[in-house]
Amino acid sequence: MSTKRWTQAGAVAATAALLLAACGSGDGGGGGAGGGGGGDGDAEDPIVIGVSLPLTGDFAEPGKGVQRGYETWVEMVNSNGGLLGRQVELIVLDDASDPARVVSDYESLIAQEEVDLLFGPFSTRLVVPASRVASEYGMLFVEPAAAAAEVFENGFENIFYAAPAIASDHYNYLAEHILAMPEDQRPQTMAVTSMDDPFAQGTAYGLRDKLAEAGIEVVVDEVYPPNATDMSAIAAQIADADPDLLVGGTLYQDAVNLILALQQLDYQPRMVAFSTAPTNPEFPEAIGGAVDGILSPTGYSLTADWPSNAGFVELHNEIHGMDPQEDEANGFTTGQVVQAAVEAVGCAEQGECQQQLIDWLHANSVEDTVVGPLGWDEAGRPDGAHMLLQYQGGEITIVLPESAAQAELLYPKPEW
Amino acid sequence: MVSGALLFQSLILGLLLGGLYALLAAGLTLYFGIMRVVMLAHAAFILLSAYVAWWFSSTTGLDPMISLVATIPLFFGIGYVMHRFLLARLRPTTMTMMSVLLTFGIALVIEGLLGLAWTGTQRRIHLPYGTSSVEFLGAQIPVVQIVSFALAALSLASLYLIMKRTQFGRSLRATIQHGQAAQLVGIDTTKVAGMGFGLGLATAAVGGAALSLQATIYPSLHWHWIGPLMAIIVVGGLGSIPGAAIAALALGTIRVLLEIPMGSTWAQTVFYVALFLTLMLRPQGFFGGRLAQRF
Repeated sequence: MSTKRWTQAGAVAATAALLLAACGSGDGGGGGAGGGGGGDGDAEDPIVIGVSLPLTGDFAEPGKGVQRGYETWVEMVNSNGGLLGRQVELIVLDDASDPARVVSDYESLIAQEEVDLLFGPFSTRLVVPASRVASEYGMLFVEPAAAAAEVFENGFENIFYAAPAIASDHYNYLAEHILAMPEDQRPQTMAVTSMDDPFAQGTAYGLRDKLAEAGIEVVVDEVYPPNATDMSAIAAQIADADPDLLVGGTLYQDAVNLILALQQLDYQPRMVAFSTAPTNPEFPEAIGGAVDGILSPTGYSLTADWPSNAGFVELHNEIHGMDPQEDEANGFTTGQVVQAAVEAVGCAEQGECQQQLIDWLHANSVEDTVVGPLGWDEAGRPDGAHMLLQYQGGEITIVLPESAAQAELLYPKPEW
Repeated sequence: MVSGALLFQSLILGLLLGGLYALLAAGLTLYFGIMRVVMLAHAAFILLSAYVAWWFSSTTGLDPMISLVATIPLFFGIGYVMHRFLLARLRPTTMTMMSVLLTFGIALVIEGLLGLAWTGTQRRIHLPYGTSSVEFLGAQIPVVQIVSFALAALSLASLYLIMKRTQFGRSLRATIQHGQAAQLVGIDTTKVAGMGFGLGLATAAVGGAALSLQATIYPSLHWHWIGPLMAIIVVGGLGSIPGAAIAALALGTIRVLLEIPMGSTWAQTVFYVALFLTLMLRPQGFFGGRLAQRF
């Protein structure tokens, strides 16, 4: 190939690259204008809220749940005359559960779409990088779903978790309840087993550490990888040690497999608690209905009588045709928290307003959300605790705290 | 420290798990024996059969084992067709390498279709005898594990009889031992190899149904199975069914026993440690003989 032809080829390639670049920026500009962003605060303009969610990939199921919660909140605000008299618009990008995508998503939401407010994504793995971007731009960052302790250890002052408690505090009511029992009646030995996952371990170890400190003996302490499907070996160790209390740092299928393996080995705990799994609607059928007495912490209950909850459940059913779960509730709560700050401060745009919103949330608590009143410490950890559910007569029943309880905690647990 | 009862219980659970591994690995080593095919989609077919068993059981309410009446012939047919129209068209010199790519693609297609048909939700068959167990010398033996072990033993015994006692088995072994020589004595090796491939896939059908009895299933689960299964057939000697069965029983038992001191995460490395040791000390595997050396 001659020099001249090389030059021609180079020129063609360069032209193509320029054209592509021009198209790219054209798209970006068009999106920004179409989104109606901009911080001028004109009463005619909608308030634009930017979100990146894992709508595909590992976290697709819960990511879509959070999206439903966000959509329900937008619908509720708009049908009540909007926020500060302006309609609210949501821009949702899909980050495919990828921590790299979530960073570029939030950068483009802030810089190109010029959104007025941000909502957080789902799960620790995505919230941590996203909160860093939001912090660099000084944006308020309320997030629905990152409960692991490390989320709040990065020194960011703009992050707030819109749920009652971080993972290690989920079992606080149960720990208090057990420690308040007479010493000769409460469980003497416990087994802990958890998936190798920051959230799951956070919940189980929070309870383990509190009880171990009070002198309850930990006889089995096992961690299994997220892909484990055969739980029979762990079950054999638990059955052999025969502890009074079993605590599972579980997500879903691990709890199902563990319970069936324990039933096969004929182990009967006096008290048993699992994170997350028992609140899944498919759980009772998956373990053959032997659910009575199983405990689980939850941040949200359909039947809780917080003032805004009934309206939320009704509207969610109207829009999405189903009852909200915890993910939907946390998405909706995120909206309620941001709404409270915006209405109190009286602004919703990029710039100084964001710092005012952050300062307001540090100084005040939000009295009405669908998960109860929320306040935060300087790092954004909520100051509440999770309610404790127990299956009684096949139904999910709130048993702790006593102020919200629908029935007493059943102990010892009926056989499964 | 560790009680004798726990050791005995774990030993029994390990042997039962090893039996299932043996069945799952048998097909894989058969493919390799027949035509040096590394069949990465084997675990995906196992999972497909597990899904069919779950779907059959949850829509009809009947025992998932009945689904085998349809899946065994169906998988045999798929195996025959797959060999005839896909694998047999690969060039013999690059067969091993290209079969990895081809079957990797097939595994991805199966995984995608499972997700499309039944979403990514974790599924588990609900059985009336799902939680029952039989007591044996103080240890509890779960009924589902006995069923899956029995299925494995039955299928491996049938496989052995087919290979040793039938005309087809003799032709298949001749094809495995020396394809050209087999052709010279009048064996239609392409047809025999295709049927052998179908036989391997039929074991995947049985294995999947057995697996569905005792584990939750989800579309990407097969990636977690193919690694240990590959390790088992290398340790047992590529192409050797008895070798695969013995290696599976041994490694399955060791894995469950190691969970007591090491925990679940480290115990699963036993397959890969065994794989490395085999490749270092006895690369032809412990039962494979000459076949693996030609690889």
